[in-house]
Amino acid sequence: MRIVAATVFALQIPFVEAFAHSIRNRAYSDAIIVRVVAADGTVGYGEAIARPYVTGETVDSCLDFMVNTLWPAVQQQDYSLPPADALTGVDWLNQVALTLPTDMAGSGQLDPSVVAWHAARTGWELALVDCLLKSAGRSLGEILPPQRAIVTYSGVITASGVERAVKVAKRFQQFGLSHLKVKVTGQDDRGRIAAIRDAVGAEPLIRLDGNGAYTVESAIATCQALAPYAIASAEQLIPRGDPAALAQVQAATSIPQIVDESLITLADAQALINAKACQGFNLRLSKCGGLAQTLEIARLADEANIFVQVGCQVGETAVLSAAGRHLAAGLPQVKFVEGSYGKLLLSQDISRTPVQFGYRGHAPMLTRPGLGVDVQDEAIAAYARQTLRLEATSRVHCQSTPRVAH
Amino acid sequence: MTLHSLIETYYDSQTGDFAKSSEFQRLESGRLNVIEIDEFIHNLCRSHLKSPQILAFLYAIAPPAAADAVQHNLLEEMGLDEAGIRHPDLLYQLMQAAGFSPQQQDAVTAAAQAQVRSLCTDPLMFGTIKELGLSVLLEVTCFEWMLARLSSRMGQALQTHRGIPTDGLAWFSHHSEVDIRHAEEGIEAVVHYVNDYDIEADELATILDITFRENVFIRRYFGGPALVLTAPEWEAVS
Repeated sequence: MRIVAATVFALQIPFVEAFAHSIRNRAYSDAIIVRVVAADGTVGYGEAIARPYVTGETVDSCLDFMVNTLWPAVQQQDYSLPPADALTGVDWLNQVALTLPTDMAGSGQLDPSVVAWHAARTGWELALVDCLLKSAGRSLGEILPPQRAIVTYSGVITASGVERAVKVAKRFQQFGLSHLKVKVTGQDDRGRIAAIRDAVGAEPLIRLDGNGAYTVESAIATCQALAPYAIASAEQLIPRGDPAALAQVQAATSIPQIVDESLITLADAQALINAKACQGFNLRLSKCGGLAQTLEIARLADEANIFVQVGCQVGETAVLSAAGRHLAAGLPQVKFVEGSYGKLLLSQDISRTPVQFGYRGHAPMLTRPGLGVDVQDEAIAAYARQTLRLEATSRVHCQSTPRVAH
Repeated sequence: MTLHSLIETYYDSQTGDFAKSSEFQRLESGRLNVIEIDEFIHNLCRSHLKSPQILAFLYAIAPPAAADAVQHNLLEEMGLDEAGIRHPDLLYQLMQAAGFSPQQQDAVTAAAQAQVRSLCTDPLMFGTIKELGLSVLLEVTCFEWMLARLSSRMGQALQTHRGIPTDGLAWFSHHSEVDIRHAEEGIEAVVHYVNDYDIEADELATILDITFRENVFIRRYFGGPALVLTAPEWEAVS
């Protein structure tokens, strides 16, 4: 099956509330949507979220790589439709992913600031997978058979003052969420965590996420100081770098350490395992390079007895959320899941039927063909600040949307 | 602070913030262009066309002490009271006066229906209808509170800056009158609801926080492009 046309949209969807962590404060989603059309007319959607402080990709560089490197490669392929069984289905996912270049080497361009073009590749991989599965009338769930009937999502409390953090914690308690992740920054961590624990009681599991804001010493001290509040895990307290430093933190505390920004590539995964740097991996599709590569990292984690958290990108729309749902349902060793916030965070999502989780953070499997999302083109058009129409000749028509979403 | 004054504080704050918002200021001062004003009209009509359904839901769950007032409000909305004015008709009158084509009016109707659909298909974030009902009641009665104070200013802005004649603005003038009564009844209905369903102070505070975490009026009237007015253009040229 050939892909005959594609459009890439840079969206700007306002958040209901700003989202903050130790590195960034965001007021809107800057998701990139890839829309592909196959020769039989089937339409598929993928999504990428570019984060310079994670993979090194910016929205602009991601768009550039998508248009000038990935689109020419996709045009050359005649894709096979997915097989019926899960066993060969994963091989098929790998084959689709292998058609997507990993760097600009072919064009003679190198970008040293980019760790990996994972957001860009994820956007295209998901669009192709969605399109080809739909064309075959199959759901991604047939390739990643669910290991559980319901996925349970966590609430995330962003970096903010104590009063606001407590308010948000109470909202999540009202929503019945039993897993909470709290962004920590090194400023009044003890006061915030104590107040949150006091507000929600002993039952909910509380995890920390430092987004690399600590040194080894301050990370260890923070874990010691917060241990009395029954912390379920601590994520990426120190910045991406030497796995031995992470191992030092893990060795000094009983709180399970999860790696996030430190885990982008397969090589990262192997190095972290070799260094015994952590007890958990945070797998995010747009960070880890799409379904095929994320499944491979998950396999390494399973072999090394490392648990998995399926994470998300702040501002993701229903497309990435749906792919994350399939991943979270299909992996055996998932301990925590994030994402699918839908209209809890976005002023508007792009799917007609919501992918968002409900009370208790519970969300069902998605069983419709492809990723299982009914994307509304009108919503994409309304929130697109840039639209790149790609034609078979590789020519690009750029249309900047003058109106910026409210 | 009494329950009544606590609720009033939230409604005052939402209404005051809306009146001071850049969106409202731009509407009132004529700094919105025609497309933006039409989006405002679209969003307003989309929000209020479904009022009968929302009020019917609230009537179904209303505690006995509030049921009569909610029922009267519902009948009034449907034109089944002594005045006999169907409020949705006033919204169509507004759209017609603004020059919306029949297709555009149908699109607004469909958008309102889509919101009703969303109410049914969006996952419920609350454990029971008790909490959901309170949240809906708070938002609806807060709208009445605001309309009693600002609807004539909105109507005036549409007349001055969009040239809509007085006849087309009947929805605004009507609401500036009837919602003064509704606004007071609304707060009483919330008080009855909270008491009847044994909602604790802490739970009420959290539901107030959830319901009013953003300005509900900006969200409903200016919360994003009107999708049906934004047709996808890329298909024709790709």
